[in-house]
Amino acid sequence: MDTLVNVAHGFGVALLPINLLYCFIGVFIGTLVGVLPGIGPISAMSLLLPVTLSGTPESGIIMMAGIYYGSMYGGSTTSILVNIPGEAASVVTCIDGHQMAKQGRAGPALGIAAFGSFAAGTFALVALMLVAPKLASLAIAFGPAEYFSLMVLGLVVLTFLTQGSMPKALLMACIGVVLGLIGLDSITAQPRLTFGRMELIDGIGLVPVVMGLFGVAEVLLNTEQAIKRDVINTRITHLLPSQEDWKASAGPVGRGTILGFFLGILPGGGAVISSFASYALEKRLSKTPERFGHGAIEGVAGPESANNAAAGGAFIPLMTLGIPPNVVMALLLGAFVIHGLQPGPLLITQNPGLFWGIVASMYIGNVMLLILNLPMIGMWVQLLKLPYNILFPLIILFTILGVYCSSNNVFDVYVMIAFGIIGYFMRKLGYEPAPLVLAFVLGPMMENNLRKSLILSQGDLWTFVQRPISAVCLAFALVLLIAPLLPSLRKKRELVALDEGA
Amino acid sequence: MNNDTNVKLRLSNSELWGGLIGLALGGFVVWSGLRLKLGTINDPGSGYVLFYTGILMCVFAGAIIVSAITEGGPTLASRWENVRWSKPLVLIACLTAFAFALEPLGFLLSSIPLMLLLLRLIDPVRWTLAIPIAVLVPLGMWWVLKRLLLIQLPSGLFGIG
Repeated sequence: MDTLVNVAHGFGVALLPINLLYCFIGVFIGTLVGVLPGIGPISAMSLLLPVTLSGTPESGIIMMAGIYYGSMYGGSTTSILVNIPGEAASVVTCIDGHQMAKQGRAGPALGIAAFGSFAAGTFALVALMLVAPKLASLAIAFGPAEYFSLMVLGLVVLTFLTQGSMPKALLMACIGVVLGLIGLDSITAQPRLTFGRMELIDGIGLVPVVMGLFGVAEVLLNTEQAIKRDVINTRITHLLPSQEDWKASAGPVGRGTILGFFLGILPGGGAVISSFASYALEKRLSKTPERFGHGAIEGVAGPESANNAAAGGAFIPLMTLGIPPNVVMALLLGAFVIHGLQPGPLLITQNPGLFWGIVASMYIGNVMLLILNLPMIGMWVQLLKLPYNILFPLIILFTILGVYCSSNNVFDVYVMIAFGIIGYFMRKLGYEPAPLVLAFVLGPMMENNLRKSLILSQGDLWTFVQRPISAVCLAFALVLLIAPLLPSLRKKRELVALDEGA
Repeated sequence: MNNDTNVKLRLSNSELWGGLIGLALGGFVVWSGLRLKLGTINDPGSGYVLFYTGILMCVFAGAIIVSAITEGGPTLASRWENVRWSKPLVLIACLTAFAFALEPLGFLLSSIPLMLLLLRLIDPVRWTLAIPIAVLVPLGMWWVLKRLLLIQLPSGLFGIG
């Protein structure tokens, strides 16, 4: 009953005209960046982070969340019609989605991607409503040792799933922690790694780092190659899948939804890994696995549902524990912090309007996305023809302005350009930026919790092992750290490794 | 990878360079941690986490170096093989020049040439389209930010913008 009252309260917040507008802007921009290859939700969210300053916390966070799950919808359009994933979670959709489009079945492919995404998004939201408050009440029992160990686990999971060698990903995570510690020590107020520059006393901002590593570096990488696009030019008809298509897709949608939701909750997991896992599961369960790769609708329905369910599930650790499970959620945490809010166990009780408003807005956003992605599909197809030689300079200009407006400080523009150049060379040498960014956000929290737990336990390191939740997290982290040393597990890791930056 | 692009103990091994840079950074972080004072395990100081993170960086960088020497790695040149490497280089040069010009020249006088250069140098856009975009987009953004959102953009020594 309480949940229903809260949901009604949430809809009251989400249906305010200003919040509806922000929600629409969010899902529209999300679909846009999902459709356009080369710009992912991370770049778009970092670009718009300063915009959240102008409105209420609800409006800003509703918009940011809309960009994230909107991009999951939009990504499938490009995968199906152009065979280029609009964002990393849609890589798998290219395999069967584009084959379906080539066979003249672009309509059902787009239709099942949208309906599957809607069903998964709805399930994820209902689960979020039911799970989050319960988990939040449990999370109050979390002490600094549990928080520290959970963050270590999150970082290790992400480094485990990142493409390339594990030592490289771990090195990136360590660099992220160090960058996060620049500025005044929160306990002793001693300046650290500031090199005498006043601009560094408050530390490096998240916006210039993310915009540099994901925005500018992405453009630099994209300019290396002339992007060729093979857009399906035939008229897209029959967006409603046939009865046979529904029959074939019902199971994959259901399984993808549940799998995606649970993988989304895991720290370090997320939409990308869940779409790959769903594709592998459907192929394994299929009686005719040979159809996969040649236009099997199950290969579109499962992964597309999984990535949308994961997008919903990823909100759980952020909202209940205050720990972002992936880079996108780290940016959302940034939006909370900008407004002086701290997501965590007390958010739901202290700011029920905010929590339930965001959840309700996500449901409204899902309905908006269904309308945006099906009847208006022609508009997105036209957008796929936008020339990149005009788009890239515009992105550069917007990132410069976005960074400047977030702090009114030219120094941040320098930081962004520097991180853009560093990010380009990092990618060229096979170093992924995702662990760096997550560690950059988690670094100060990890340090704080480590120092607190050491002070509380009077320097007894066993405190991390004696507390059950902490011990389980550290044990999992240890297993993942050792796993790549075993050849059979190393191969498996390479199979599931993902490119978060895409 | 053939023998020309996969090398072991050679200066052109890109993996080796990556590891060495990581090691140098790790060493610097360890030194910074020590300078900031470690404190004790009962009461960790400002440099405590930095020091141990630096040690971890050295360990991971060491693992990268060992792997580069034993398994080899692609040469630096092969990382830029078959790509238009000059394009990002031009873009980096433009962005660096822009960074130096932003404060003395102001937003408008630095961003209009930047846009024009980017539009003409990445994949050349014809002049008749490049000039209006390069002028109107920064001008439009400046107007929206300065007049509508009241955000002060750098106006430079000439006070333009």
